[in-house]
Amino acid sequence: MNSRERVLAVLAGEIPDLVPIIPVVDGYFAPKVIGRANDECYLDGACMAQALAAAREKFDYDGILAEMGLGSNPNVLGCPVEVEGNDVPLVVDAIIGGREDLEKIHPPDPWAEDKMEPVKQLVAAAGGAHFVLGSVRSPFEYAATVRGLIDFMTDFYRDPELVKDLVAACVPVTLAVGRALVEAGVDAIVMKDSFASSSMISPDHYEQFAWTAEAEAIAGFKGLAPVVLHVCRNSMPILTRMAETGADILEIDSPVDLAAAREAVGDKVVLKGNIDAMSVIEKGSVADVEQAVRLAMEAAKPGGRFILSTGDSIPLSAPEENVSALVEFGRKYGRY
Amino acid sequence: MSEILERFQQAIIHGDSDRSAEMADAIIADGKTTPDEIFDYLTQAMEDVGSRYQTGEYFIPEMLRSAESVEKAMGILEPYLFERRHDQTGIIVMGTVKGDIHNIGKNIIVSALRASGYEVHDLGVNISTDKFINKIREVNADMLMLSAFTTSTKSALIDIMEKLEKEGMRDQIKVVSGGASHSEEFAREVGVDGFAKDVKSTLAVCRKLMGEQS
Repeated sequence: MNSRERVLAVLAGEIPDLVPIIPVVDGYFAPKVIGRANDECYLDGACMAQALAAAREKFDYDGILAEMGLGSNPNVLGCPVEVEGNDVPLVVDAIIGGREDLEKIHPPDPWAEDKMEPVKQLVAAAGGAHFVLGSVRSPFEYAATVRGLIDFMTDFYRDPELVKDLVAACVPVTLAVGRALVEAGVDAIVMKDSFASSSMISPDHYEQFAWTAEAEAIAGFKGLAPVVLHVCRNSMPILTRMAETGADILEIDSPVDLAAAREAVGDKVVLKGNIDAMSVIEKGSVADVEQAVRLAMEAAKPGGRFILSTGDSIPLSAPEENVSALVEFGRKYGRY
Repeated sequence: MSEILERFQQAIIHGDSDRSAEMADAIIADGKTTPDEIFDYLTQAMEDVGSRYQTGEYFIPEMLRSAESVEKAMGILEPYLFERRHDQTGIIVMGTVKGDIHNIGKNIIVSALRASGYEVHDLGVNISTDKFINKIREVNADMLMLSAFTTSTKSALIDIMEKLEKEGMRDQIKVVSGGASHSEEFAREVGVDGFAKDVKSTLAVCRKLMGEQS
């Protein structure tokens, strides 16, 4: 089996030869693999494509996260963005001041200014041998970005109807970007809904403001590509509802107990996770990585339906030997 | 416990901005409450909200709701507090460090510092190292106050301290970090000049360090 076949087997409910390994290597970590700064690659999609492909080749994991191009660009809806050196891009101004600004939300033209070209380059670099995931924001995350996170979350009590209408207005944005990613050749869509985390909002608010839009977007991708639903930090209280969105893969972060997650969602969905990107990969030793990988495999490997990953993005300062160890021990303990 | 202050505190804990404003008006009309008493009740309210967050009862929107109720009340109370205590001088740049969007504690501290006479430049939340540095230069600040709710923002604090050194600014400015999780050990590891956990300790550390500065 090659890498792509390995992932496809897991998605089909078959037992592959090895547990696939696709760590969250994105714009935080990948640029340094080719000796470039984050801002260079953020502003130059070809640079990011080169960095992501080089990182996959260097560490030899099974899939690549197309974390560039239109899908991951936080100014997709016109918000001004600042990025400098190795910082990550920050939205510096919101474009939605209130209900009167809702009409500013329009799905972008995904093909304008060759914005999807880097995704095509990455798909070409994968050559059909490796699985390519295209990254898009959820409607809830786009809504938080264009409103500004603090105003957005203050609105939960101040103006809940505005939150609902804003999130609903962002569904076509997620759909337009995700469909363009598929057209550019990705194998799956990763829909990031970081702010829906139970580390940030209550399960009730997740239900009230985020879930419906997640489900609508995922329904809109059905038949086009499998969908990975990513929620940062603690997602345990909402995990069964995440599975009910129709997502094919749930990408879960390190605070979630993998065995408990498997028990909660059964074999309905694939679990992807959840080695701690900071305490283990960034700060830990190689022995820590081995132990974390072994425990993750014990919890989630039986029966298939598992992709070994970090729970979230590998930080810039993570030592390369720990990324290598993740793959080395993933292969060692991931054999079926 | 004063009934008005008790209601004021409950309004903040439950994020009821209309009620907190109403109680702020009542405090002024009553005229018997000292600034220290107001800040004590605010500190207790802040600790209660923080504790509810830590135990999973509250999330970010509930924290923001409480922060908004503090802001609304302080808009009313600030002139009352200013009248009663205005004995300190100094320029302070303050903000919540990058990676952290908690603002309830910071907003209370900003009000307390302004009420004490300091000129406070509040940059807001999730502030990058460069923004702190630029503001310190712009206003020629005497003190930098860094709010960080959790210890997970330690790297952001260290980054700021390293940049101050690199830019040759460290000797000219006192740095204080604050937040519910701060300890002497944490402050020593990060390399700040002082730390504070609440309004009282913030005002005390400011007086001490500004005294050293002058």
